[in-house]
Amino acid sequence: MASIWNISILLLLVFGAANAESNVNQEAKKPIQTFRPYNVAHRGACGEIPEETTAAYLRAIEIGADFIETDILASKDGQLVCFHDVILDDTTDVKNRTEFSNRQRTYEVQGVNVTGYFVVDFTLEELKSLKVKQRFSFRDQQYNGKYSIITFEEYITIALTADRTVGIYPEIKNPVHINEHVKWSNGKKFEDIFVETLQKYGYKGTYLSESWLKQPIFIQSFAPTSLVYISNQTDSPKVFLIDDVSIPTQDTNQSYAEITSDGYFSYISQYVVGIGPWKDTIVPPKNNYLTTPTDLVARAHAHNLQVHPYTFRNENSYLHFDFHQDPYQEYDYWINQIGVDGLFTDFTGSFHLYQEHTSPYPKDSKTSDDLLRKIEKMISHYENA
Amino acid sequence: MASSRWYIVYVILFIQLFSTGVRGARSYHPLSSQSYNHAKQPLQTFRPYNIAHRGSNGEIPEETTAAYLRAIEEGADFIETDILSSKDGVLICFHDVILDDTTDVGNYTKFANRKRTYEVQGQNITGYFVVDFTIEELKSLRVKQRYPFRDQQYNWKFSIITFEEFISIGLDAKRTVGIYPEIKNPVFINQHVKWANGKRFEDIFVETLKKYGYKGSYMSRNWLKQPLFIQSFAPTSLIYISNLTHSPKILLIDDVTVPTQDTNQSYWEITSDSYLQFISSYVVGIGPWKDTIVPVVNNYLTTPTDLVARAHAHNLQVHPYTYRNENQFLHFDFHQDPYAEYAYWIHKIRVDGLFTDFTGSLHWYQEWTSPVKDVKSADALLRKISGMISSYEEP
Repeated sequence: MASIWNISILLLLVFGAANAESNVNQEAKKPIQTFRPYNVAHRGACGEIPEETTAAYLRAIEIGADFIETDILASKDGQLVCFHDVILDDTTDVKNRTEFSNRQRTYEVQGVNVTGYFVVDFTLEELKSLKVKQRFSFRDQQYNGKYSIITFEEYITIALTADRTVGIYPEIKNPVHINEHVKWSNGKKFEDIFVETLQKYGYKGTYLSESWLKQPIFIQSFAPTSLVYISNQTDSPKVFLIDDVSIPTQDTNQSYAEITSDGYFSYISQYVVGIGPWKDTIVPPKNNYLTTPTDLVARAHAHNLQVHPYTFRNENSYLHFDFHQDPYQEYDYWINQIGVDGLFTDFTGSFHLYQEHTSPYPKDSKTSDDLLRKIEKMISHYENA
Repeated sequence: MASSRWYIVYVILFIQLFSTGVRGARSYHPLSSQSYNHAKQPLQTFRPYNIAHRGSNGEIPEETTAAYLRAIEEGADFIETDILSSKDGVLICFHDVILDDTTDVGNYTKFANRKRTYEVQGQNITGYFVVDFTIEELKSLRVKQRYPFRDQQYNWKFSIITFEEFISIGLDAKRTVGIYPEIKNPVFINQHVKWANGKRFEDIFVETLKKYGYKGSYMSRNWLKQPLFIQSFAPTSLIYISNLTHSPKILLIDDVTVPTQDTNQSYWEITSDSYLQFISSYVVGIGPWKDTIVPVVNNYLTTPTDLVARAHAHNLQVHPYTYRNENQFLHFDFHQDPYAEYAYWIHKIRVDGLFTDFTGSLHWYQEWTSPVKDVKSADALLRKISGMISSYEEP
């Protein structure tokens, strides 16, 4: 029977540990949580702040992201940047820049002709001169024109300098298109530079290894050959993204049905630790109501593949009627009914609140660390109530 | 032989008794709610009231039985309604003075000539007016979801219900559920509908409540058994009925540009300290439009006014309306998260109740942040922690 004195000492230790959060030392950083599904801040806190900017990533970290997510493309001069679209038209002020008025082009990208100002036609310096804006008109516009595009290295630095352990989740984006338009010296390709950048900052180790827990990472891509290619260079965990049912892979031209078959899962599970499907292919909706879930998650899990669907958004236009316009009901369904292992959300704060209230600490404490953390949570929960 | 004749008599007597019993079924087989009233889970009173505005109308067409049952299922403390009157003086649950926006009235050729234009609160309104239809005619209509961006699957399935039907839903619930009816547009109703014995709308309203046993001041034993708030935008109606019932009343307050329909007083007058002082003799609280408490510019919150503080200083509760999940109704400060809006109003502004279209969302928020159970004392928490430590074994 522990006495009140023993409890007081332990509580002092717990509070001491809690206060150590402000210490930036990598060794003393609060570790990443691994007991509940991952909160992946899709393009940063882009529900609030223009996507893929420093501000969006800092905000995501502030409101509880486990991972900050980004899309990596390349500039004309081979610099890796964080940007989602192959063209600059929809999220920057490029169209207002007279100095770039002759840069508009039409290229074929994944079988479709796309016209616009292509990232691959601008040097890094030119890209940096642009200002970004909020993509969706129904979201907060107050930060338009304030922020710039950032580089892959700047993004990595944001994660590493956070005062708790924050993982990164970068995508090898449109590698076929990039390798067509951008050349590097020594015959290197996009994927090589991508991995070199990560290794420069010390990212290594398999999933849940000691190295990985210090600097968590998932490398994602829609192009399976890119993931297979880099598995010779890095043992960092990879996630295979899967598009809508009508879209074949950009590199191998394989259909949705093929790349989600059991045979393919057997094959790809040698290279990746998980898949990232579009959520409406896991549970197909009809007239904005959910229909019967497919068995995709069960089969992925049977192959030891995690499932991280995209993308969760708070706005009611994205919520199926089963959730009655409540984004927390949607999280509840995907976490408890479908049982996913992580999710890409534009509203990392909402998802964080959901998780904090419904699974604030692990059910079973295994190590003394777990126990102390559980006690710390109970105390802060009591204080908040 | 004699015994068999007596036997027949007994049988006949028994059948008579049984038939009488069947005809007066209510006294033989009372509703479960009336027999076991004392065993119901009581109303929570330790955290702000979750008021299901028009029922769970975020999901189901407003003010229908289904919307109210769903609200109760999702955790509402109170189910809310607007009371108007039919042509033949029957009190019904319906929000608008016209039937056009939420019913199929326009589809009936027999009602084609019922369209009228009346002045309501200083404005000319054209449509099919509730007060021009008998209860039978109103009951023949079917209702739909008001907003096109909400679930349409229940359109044309449900009817308008009466005040008495609404009350029964509240009383028949398995746990104690309060009702929150509004004396709606009383000036308009009393102009168009007449009752016998010189009675007015407010009289019939209160009589209906009394018929079902609603009585007692706020937090009295009677009130806790059958919780009730009577709301109205018309202060004279509330003052009038305070002679008829002790049940707690709430003065609703419209936007800053809209004067009261009965006394033509401005927002500024009825929210002044002296008015709050006056009205607090008659009401236990106010129900303002939330954007007048914290004004909004370009969809961002500005500095809160002192309305809540002053209301509280006069011992008046504050129950603002209306909270909705859809992002078009959420100011950017809440980043499209309805729970962030609840957090602000409950913890920053500290209101005492909220009218919400999404009673399920508010219930989840409240269960997470101020649950009914686990209100632990520091002692109990320390004891629990000590137990966890002493039973811990190094793996």
